[in-house]
Amino acid sequence: MLTSFIHRFSSPKSFVEVTALFFPYVMFLGFSCLALGWIWGLAFAPEDAIQGNSYRIIFLHVPASIMAQLIYFFMSICALMHLVWRVKLAAYLIKSAAPVGVLITFIALFSGSIWGIPTWGTWWQWDARITSTLILFIMYLGIITLHSSFSNAEKADRLMSILVVVGVVNIPIIKKSVDWWSTLHQPASISISDGASIDPSMLYPLTISILGMALTMIALGILVSKLYILTREKNKKWVQAYV
Amino acid sequence: MQLVTANNLGYSINEKRLFHNLSFSLNSGSGLHIKGGNGSGKSTLLRIVLGLTSPSKGGVEYCKPNLQVSYLGHKNAIKHYLTPMQNLELIFRSSALQNAMKWMNTLGLNKVQDELTANLSFGQQKKLALIRIFASESDLIILDEPFVGLDNSSRDLLNEFLQKKLASDTSLILTSHIEPNILCSELVLSGDTDD
Amino acid sequence: MINFFSLEAFKLRHKLRAWLGPLLIMILVLIAFPLSIDISQYDLNKFYFSVIVVSLLMISFLATESIFSEDYEDGSLEQIHLEEKDFYKITLAKILVHVFFIGIPMALIGSIFSFANGVSFAEVPKIFVILSISTLILFNVFAFGSALSINKGSMLGVVASLPLALPAIVLLGRGVRTVQYGQGFFEVSVFMAGVALIVTALMPVIISATLKTHLE
Repeated sequence: MLTSFIHRFSSPKSFVEVTALFFPYVMFLGFSCLALGWIWGLAFAPEDAIQGNSYRIIFLHVPASIMAQLIYFFMSICALMHLVWRVKLAAYLIKSAAPVGVLITFIALFSGSIWGIPTWGTWWQWDARITSTLILFIMYLGIITLHSSFSNAEKADRLMSILVVVGVVNIPIIKKSVDWWSTLHQPASISISDGASIDPSMLYPLTISILGMALTMIALGILVSKLYILTREKNKKWVQAYV
Repeated sequence: MQLVTANNLGYSINEKRLFHNLSFSLNSGSGLHIKGGNGSGKSTLLRIVLGLTSPSKGGVEYCKPNLQVSYLGHKNAIKHYLTPMQNLELIFRSSALQNAMKWMNTLGLNKVQDELTANLSFGQQKKLALIRIFASESDLIILDEPFVGLDNSSRDLLNEFLQKKLASDTSLILTSHIEPNILCSELVLSGDTDD
Repeated sequence: MINFFSLEAFKLRHKLRAWLGPLLIMILVLIAFPLSIDISQYDLNKFYFSVIVVSLLMISFLATESIFSEDYEDGSLEQIHLEEKDFYKITLAKILVHVFFIGIPMALIGSIFSFANGVSFAEVPKIFVILSISTLILFNVFAFGSALSINKGSMLGVVASLPLALPAIVLLGRGVRTVQYGQGFFEVSVFMAGVALIVTALMPVIISATLKTHLE
């Protein structure tokens, strides 16, 4: 019964039709939250006592870092669905999420480097958090490269899913790297168990920025996956009717 | 006794259909010759029957538990860096090795048994690969283009062997552009790529 | 299972290039490093471990590059699947045979070279233990990369498996440091052995699924 439920609601056609309904709202909300968060954080949040104004890159860096890991986690759930229940849509979503993951991980690394110059006096340090995030970036590239190497798309989907599931072991390493190793990178500013370690005047725009980034990434993911689904299913009658 | 049953088999690759609604059954001691043009899916159908490839639709049932299958495909499954003798030692357990060596002599490979397999001709490599079929006791033999590369005497030997196996209740499925000299039913694949 | 080990050992023994080549390259790298850099003996003692670790990484990849592609290309994988229905036993046998023929000698070479660069004789067995456990982990990881990228070129295997190998290298570096500073060797080596056992048990399952996908 579970299998038939999953297959009923995971057809690529349903996905394209349903997401078309709420895509504009998600995109608008995402951009609005990002704009609000960034304007509030850049223009109105107070200076940091130690870092001065250089801390303001937190409103880009932290949302990007969180999304970099969350996107991979999402991909790993899709990979399990594809491997266990052979859900085609799950494979399409992995393939679409990977380039978004590459982009956001690059933004996280780049913004982190920019932040490192005034804070640590260096744009790069081989500490646990930065190195493990770089590994995540390489993993995304590896997933994209692997899938692109095979002309048989179904085989490529399965191999990509296997790689994603195996690679998920790196996510807790990245998350916990600042706790397990003595690193230059600061501990998490927001923690589910310990709450926030920053002032509310910075916390609120940061939270809005994280929400905005999440919604923007979802909107971007919907756009990319829609294009990919239409390409993969181009021989189907519903695609020919749709376009 | 029914050995293998295929029900409504269909196979697609990259959303392109190779064949669909294919059904057949095979009894003990009977042969099936799969014919079709290049790219019609003959080798794919064999791989589906073997369980190496999953069909897009339908399925294959083996009616006998622990069915012993011998298979030789396009690839010979022999190691080029070993000699024929070493290859046989790799393929066969010691109990079956004597029988395999007899076949090696029958096929005239005893003269080259200590040469590297890479140095043998295509036909000699094919004969070496066929020893896997000759020397195995199996209920079902599946062959993909077995006659390619063989000289006339080896082809006759293979035909004779297959005929004897059919007579002793072993089943056979093969694909071949060269017409085999054995009694078997035919299945023709047309190569369907329409949606 | 024993039969698989003996068959894989039989094959690898006859492929001289496959096991001797990586070992010779490792020796070349370990000799070339001190020749190519103008560095005092004292500093060489500190840096030499990095060379051993990096060469272990590279040679592990090289040694497992064609661990499955040969059987895939000549059709042997299909024959194995017909007999066994899965590839767990053959994968485990291949990896362990490669570790025995190539990984352990690599660890021995690394230990000897570390002794030649200032490590005391009493510490050499500890280096050997750390390097041996690391080769087991690395061979598993790179075998997975090779399985993913069968007949698609080795670069794909590197890109796929390097993110998994780098945490193993961090662990190896930690193990080497315990020998350098004389602290915590037992704890770290037991931890590494645990990781190696888990990886050795799980990776053949994952590789088996990967190989089945390739055959389809």
